[in-house]
Amino acid sequence: MAVRRKLIKERVPTPERPAEERVKDFAEVNLGYTFELAVKEAERCLQCPYDYAPCIKGCPVHINIPGFISKLVEYRDDPDKAVKEALNVIWACNSLPATTGRVCPQEDQCEMNCVMGKVGDKINIGKLERFVADYAREKGIDEELLFEIIPKIEKKGQSVAIIGAGPAGLTAAGELAKLGYDVTIYEALHEAGGVLMYGIPEFRLPKSIVESEIEKLKKLGVKILTDHVVGRTVTIEELLEEYDAVFIGSGAGTPRLVNAPGVNLNGIYTANEFLTRVNLMKAYKFPEYDTPVYVGKKVIVIGAGNTAMDAARSARRFGADVTITYRRGPEDVSARIEEVHHAKEEGIKFEYFINPVEFIGDENGKVKAVKFEKMKALEEKDSRGKRKIVGTGEYVTLEADTVIIAIGKHPNRLIVNTPGLKVERGKIVVDENLMTSIPGVFAGGDAIRGEATVILAMGDGRKAAKAIHEYLTKKREGQNA
Amino acid sequence: MPYKILDKKELAMNEVWYKIHAPHVAKKVQPGQFVIVRAFPNGERIPLTPVTWDRDEGWITLITFVRGKTTMRMANELKPGDELLNVAGPLGNPAPMKKFGKILAIGMITGIVEVFPIAKAWQEAGNEVTTLHVSPNPMVILKEEFENAVSRHIVEGFDLQPGWGMNEIAQELVKRAVAKVKELLENEHFDMILTVGPAGGQKAVFNVVKEFGIPMHADLHPIMVDATGMCGACRVTVGGEVKFACIDGPGFDAYKVDWDELIHRSGFYAPMERLALETYLKQLQAQGGEQ
Ligand SMILES: Cc1cc2nc3c(=O)[nH]c(=O)nc-3n(C[C@H](O)[C@H](O)[C@H](O)COP(=O)(O)OP(=O)(O)OC[C@H]3O[C@@H](n4cnc5c(N)ncnc54)[C@H](O)[C@@H]3O)c2cc1C
Ligand SMILES: Cc1cc2nc3c(=O)[nH]c(=O)nc-3n(C[C@H](O)[C@H](O)[C@H](O)COP(=O)(O)OP(=O)(O)OC[C@H]3O[C@@H](n4cnc5c(N)ncnc54)[C@H](O)[C@@H]3O)c2cc1C
Ligand code: SF4
Ligand code: FES
Repeated sequence: MAVRRKLIKERVPTPERPAEERVKDFAEVNLGYTFELAVKEAERCLQCPYDYAPCIKGCPVHINIPGFISKLVEYRDDPDKAVKEALNVIWACNSLPATTGRVCPQEDQCEMNCVMGKVGDKINIGKLERFVADYAREKGIDEELLFEIIPKIEKKGQSVAIIGAGPAGLTAAGELAKLGYDVTIYEALHEAGGVLMYGIPEFRLPKSIVESEIEKLKKLGVKILTDHVVGRTVTIEELLEEYDAVFIGSGAGTPRLVNAPGVNLNGIYTANEFLTRVNLMKAYKFPEYDTPVYVGKKVIVIGAGNTAMDAARSARRFGADVTITYRRGPEDVSARIEEVHHAKEEGIKFEYFINPVEFIGDENGKVKAVKFEKMKALEEKDSRGKRKIVGTGEYVTLEADTVIIAIGKHPNRLIVNTPGLKVERGKIVVDENLMTSIPGVFAGGDAIRGEATVILAMGDGRKAAKAIHEYLTKKREGQNA
Repeated sequence: MPYKILDKKELAMNEVWYKIHAPHVAKKVQPGQFVIVRAFPNGERIPLTPVTWDRDEGWITLITFVRGKTTMRMANELKPGDELLNVAGPLGNPAPMKKFGKILAIGMITGIVEVFPIAKAWQEAGNEVTTLHVSPNPMVILKEEFENAVSRHIVEGFDLQPGWGMNEIAQELVKRAVAKVKELLENEHFDMILTVGPAGGQKAVFNVVKEFGIPMHADLHPIMVDATGMCGACRVTVGGEVKFACIDGPGFDAYKVDWDELIHRSGFYAPMERLALETYLKQLQAQGGEQ
């Protein structure tokens, strides 16, 4: 059936909770589309041909975007069918659409390239993806699809160990389970999900959604061993004795600290610690939940990526006056536009071109202020295409009783210390098939890239699963020959 | 993951012993390592030390000193047959295992629990080990086990006075520890010292040991959250560098540790911990429970 193509320039907006209401709790900010609104937005899509569609090219995992959008319009009279068809299209490339629909930087990927941008607003691809996933979950349509897939799985009689239950590991596990391998995930924390559970806050990605994605994997037969720290509980060598292949998806867990005096004063958190206390341990419900967190009246967040936005907005929800400080200018902020926008709406202040040089404490060893050097930008660009910055020799001191450092992370050290595993600047080195220097051991996600994105980690998980499948097929055939 | 409590008993006032089914830990754990335990759905992750273990039968034992909400709730609410939600590990690096010669291993309060596996292994590695337990009476724990495991076990106890709070206990602890360690070092030669216990006590003992110039290994107890090197809560300055105690430690060269920083950091949550405990005690009272 032909899809109507009329030009509607304006985006159908998704409802959001007003800023003054949402800063008082941790419930989700964006409320998403209803079926009617989703269809209205879907109708705006020009249905560019598959080989041409620039949105597909912009998506790191090449979801057939016009393909899934057209199903919503085509079956508009049967919402359940529309969503089932659409989900089927998405699942071919992406097993966590409820997550990516919420956290992908769409404006730099699919939506950046959307043709509609030339005449009006780009199609709201992220929110449409999210809608399909949410509707399917609420109506049990995803389970239905899953149970259609399960009986078709042919058991291969080989097993794979996955290290880390973040987006990379979960995706690899799902793909391998669908291919018929016995898959076991080794996860260090008490909950699976990686950054999706401990890092990204509830108001942006409700934990129940991540949990439901994980339940689906379990239905596919994936075993998850929490509390198992690879490098301590079990080594990669030992895993290789027990399993036919190993995938490392251990992420970039180790926080970088500002190299300045006073960094260990009380009240100075890494974003990881702050967010782990708040998200994973639910410190915002202290003392109902036992893990405390200290949020003072004046909070300074250092850095301007997604992590910094999440930390700042979480602190704001404790009633604090929050300032994000960044050593570069507004044009270099790396966080998603939507999050920066939400942060500003919520009353978070931004100070640019200042770089922390000293943390000042009171007599009890608690932070009370941060001294910054004022920076200025040069015309010259650095290797990442950002303008170079230099110190001016002028200083400014800002008061703070809580400081959150969000300037990036390194891959987990317990894994990179594995003998024989080639590592460069903290990142695991892989070949074009994502195989590491140890035969049969593959890796992907932040562990090989440094801090990146959910969708790139998932893309690696898929690619590695395919490579592992090829590797194990050869191994199987070798044994049978 | 079921981590069944196979057995539980109170060893002394406020010292509770648990035997737990945790084969993944039992198989791997070495003296000096610890585990992270989560006991309740809304609970904290707390670090505890396996004291003994059986690799074949797959169990470990833990001993907690009841001091805040989590340890008290565990003491009150868990019974044999129940399950802990999580036992992650083993974590941290094993203590160095070699022949040092004559060793003095000091455990203050519950620290003695952590001294046990290390002291025992050091004795087995051909060292002559003296263990010293400094603690308020009657918290005399593992006395017999120590006497069987090491060359000499000394208990330096003291009575709690009515009206004493945590500060007074800490002061008395430091006083006793310093006096006893001084006495031992003046009369005997030691090649190596180990301390485990509150940071204030460790610092005081270190100041004595320093005068004698004896090497000292300190097992540190900063506050931990994940204990996998991900959060940085446990950071301590050692030799001018920031280290994460959970993956770089927990044992460090006592001469390099920034003790004052560790003391400050360890006390940061005290008011909130007190609030958690008080809220819990009120709940217990409302339910008409004991305590
Ligand atoms: C606060 C925050 C906000 C972010 N916001 C966004 C966003 O909006 N959009 C976006 O696209 N990206 C965002 N990112 C980045 C994104 O979350 C990561 O790129 C992505 O999660 C990487 O996935 P991963 O599977 O490689 O690793 P992770 O998600 O880090 O998962 C790794 C897992 O491995 C486990 N592990 C580590 N070491 C071991 C070990 N030794 N043994 C066993 N298990 C181990 C960890 O516990 C963890 O569960 C954000 C990151 C943070 C921190
Ligand atoms: C490596 C290591 C091994 C340990 N082994 C043992 C052991 O074998 N037996 C034992 O009784 N205790 C041990 N501890 C201390 C134990 O973790 C704390 O007693 C426990 O967390 C207190 O919890 P609570 O809720 O009962 O008390 P709280 O009221 O939370 O705190 C009381 C005091 O305990 C300390 N503490 C609190 N939370 C933590 C935390 N997350 N991490 C570290 N310290 C904390 C603080 O100094 C605090 O002031 C160990 C600690 C570490 C770091
Ligand atoms: S580029 Fe835009 S208009 Fe074209 S198919 Fe993709 S979403 Fe639709
Ligand atoms: S406890 Fe989190 S890094 Fe050590």
